[in-house]
Amino acid sequence: MFTTRYVLAELRRRRGRTILTALGLGVGVALVVAVTALSQGLADAQDEVLRPLSGVGTDMSLTRPLRPASDAAGGDPFAGLSAAERKQLRDENRPRRLDLTSLGDPGDTFETDSFMSSQLTLPASTTAKISGLDGVREAAGGLTLNAVHVTGVVPEQSQQQGGFGPPAGGVPAASARPDNLDFSSISVSGVDPAAPTLGAMTEAQVTKGSYLTTGDAREAVLSEGYAKRMGLTVGDEVRLGGKTFEVVGISSPPLGGTAADVYVKLDQLQRLADRDGRVNAVYVRAASTDDVSRVSSEMERLVDGASVTTTEDLAQRVGGSLVDARNLASKLGTALAVVALAAAILIAMLLTLSSVAKRTRELGTLKAIGWKQSRVVRQVSGEALAQGVLGGVVGAALGVGVATAVGALGLTLEASVASTGAGTAPGPLPGLPGGGFGTGQIVSGTTDVVLNAPVSAQLVLLAVALSILGGLLAGAVGGLRAARLRPADALRNLD
Amino acid sequence: MTTDTSPIYDLRGLERSYPSGDGKVDAVAGIDLRIERGEFVVVAGPSGSGKTTLLQLLGALDRPTRGELRFEGRDLAGAGDGELTELRLRRIGFVFQQFNLIPTLTAQQNVEAAIAPTGAPGRAAQARAAELLGRVGLGSRARHLPSQLSGGEQQRVAIARALANRPDVLLADEPTGNLDSATGQEIMSLIHSLHADGLTIVLITHDPAIAGSAPRVIRLRDGRVDPSGAPLAATA
Repeated sequence: MFTTRYVLAELRRRRGRTILTALGLGVGVALVVAVTALSQGLADAQDEVLRPLSGVGTDMSLTRPLRPASDAAGGDPFAGLSAAERKQLRDENRPRRLDLTSLGDPGDTFETDSFMSSQLTLPASTTAKISGLDGVREAAGGLTLNAVHVTGVVPEQSQQQGGFGPPAGGVPAASARPDNLDFSSISVSGVDPAAPTLGAMTEAQVTKGSYLTTGDAREAVLSEGYAKRMGLTVGDEVRLGGKTFEVVGISSPPLGGTAADVYVKLDQLQRLADRDGRVNAVYVRAASTDDVSRVSSEMERLVDGASVTTTEDLAQRVGGSLVDARNLASKLGTALAVVALAAAILIAMLLTLSSVAKRTRELGTLKAIGWKQSRVVRQVSGEALAQGVLGGVVGAALGVGVATAVGALGLTLEASVASTGAGTAPGPLPGLPGGGFGTGQIVSGTTDVVLNAPVSAQLVLLAVALSILGGLLAGAVGGLRAARLRPADALRNLD
Repeated sequence: MTTDTSPIYDLRGLERSYPSGDGKVDAVAGIDLRIERGEFVVVAGPSGSGKTTLLQLLGALDRPTRGELRFEGRDLAGAGDGELTELRLRRIGFVFQQFNLIPTLTAQQNVEAAIAPTGAPGRAAQARAAELLGRVGLGSRARHLPSQLSGGEQQRVAIARALANRPDVLLADEPTGNLDSATGQEIMSLIHSLHADGLTIVLITHDPAIAGSAPRVIRLRDGRVDPSGAPLAATA
């Protein structure tokens, strides 16, 4: 066909313009490919980090926290609580007032555990109620507390100023503290062994040894960090509330998840901590991810003042260069690609327009020798379209090249979760971690992921399609301009 | 075509004006003219006399503002774009002062460009183009680009292109204007030979030598035929 030969002759013999247009479109398209591939690579990397955390996107947990201090007047973290709730919190956290006189004679050594939480407990029946909600597949209660372990020597009477106890809301006066006491605090979480896939610690997280059995044996699973810190391993024993537990397993919680130091059976912890029939967390699995938001809001309605954490919330705790890059890619990267593509298409349009303007005489001559309007338009658009195809091929090759190069570089990105630092409640005692008691601690740390930029066949096709679209747009603009040329222009002596 | 005795062109009160600033410019300001089939007519006159405008009107590139412009009996004043395009394709051949070849196409492809819109099969178009190039003496340069040809050779290609669809009239706008005199004479003798074969020729020129050798010269002045300056004119 003559038009085809003419188009090819134009592309071949006006090489400068062809290369410029194709390269312009190509670079724009390559940016789209590279940015999309990078975004995909970052998304893959993030998934890799978050998979342990959000592998089950249907999981949620419900707690009844103290309201954030910022909500309360004067920064009092307890101001948001009703009188009844204040009393509940006080009662729960002061079951064992440390009355030194009852511990023995002055000079005797003593050892005692207090279990505390800054979260209000809920009746265990809440778990059953939540189980009954539509869209809930499974629910299990949990109780996470801080066990404050105090050892020391019973002091002389003169040093006693009416006893001493970990307060629920205030910092004790320093002068009232005996100086021969050692405090240590660990977080203890009670999990329901009947629900091994749901809870503060799941069977899947046990990396060594085994999960808790359903019997009455006193068993404990330690978090990896705690076990390492204390030099404990499977088969060793830990003491809690005056009882001895056998370490049956070591668990490794996911980055960004919540970890306690020690996990024991829920009913045993309830008994030890005088919280029979009470839980302070309900772990819930929705039937499907579509149910998550609805179930979440229903639970918040069901339990007054409840806070529901979804896996998505957990995922948001993950930061670091990976997340920064991800955000950058999704915001700036996409904008960059769009701008580059728009610029490339604009350049293609301008080059086509300038080409038409330069070829006024040529196109006018074609009209003068009997070319129809439509044939001239088709010629001009055909050239632009062919350049679009060329640009698409160049762009796809360039984009794949960049993506491959990025993969070959083996860049590592870091995903990290910052430790909670100063939490919602003031650190009440020396030696205790900051942050709310008994909430467990968010697993902080860093993990590295290698960045890849995968290019799919669809992406290559999309790139070529975008470039062709650019060519079509340029062709439309150029064609319109060419259509407006008068055949008489061929007779004008322009130069 | 020679069997038809009606004039090929019949112009009555032909006017063409362009808007210019506040008013208008009458490029062609009332021309009455008959051109018979097989004639060789030279249109002469100073620049601005309306030669090019007249040629555009004769070539169906433009429509008159007023008056009648009959080509082979059809009034072009009321013809549609499609009809004018069809006439330019099949009935009218153009030769330009600056050759106006497509720079990216070879000599043969330039001729084929004029055949392509007729829908002739590619092979037939190629054969016809080669034959025409042979006729203008460029058989061996068919694969050359315009930039590889001399001015005279380019004009021969342009003439071959103008002849591609066996037109009834050849309109030439200063065909030797960009050529040295020897080459110009070669082109003129080629045009004369086409005339001898029965083709109607209308040619614009400044060149008094060319005007002198033409059987009929129409002198234009201010958009009108100048009777005093056209001793050989045979206007009815």
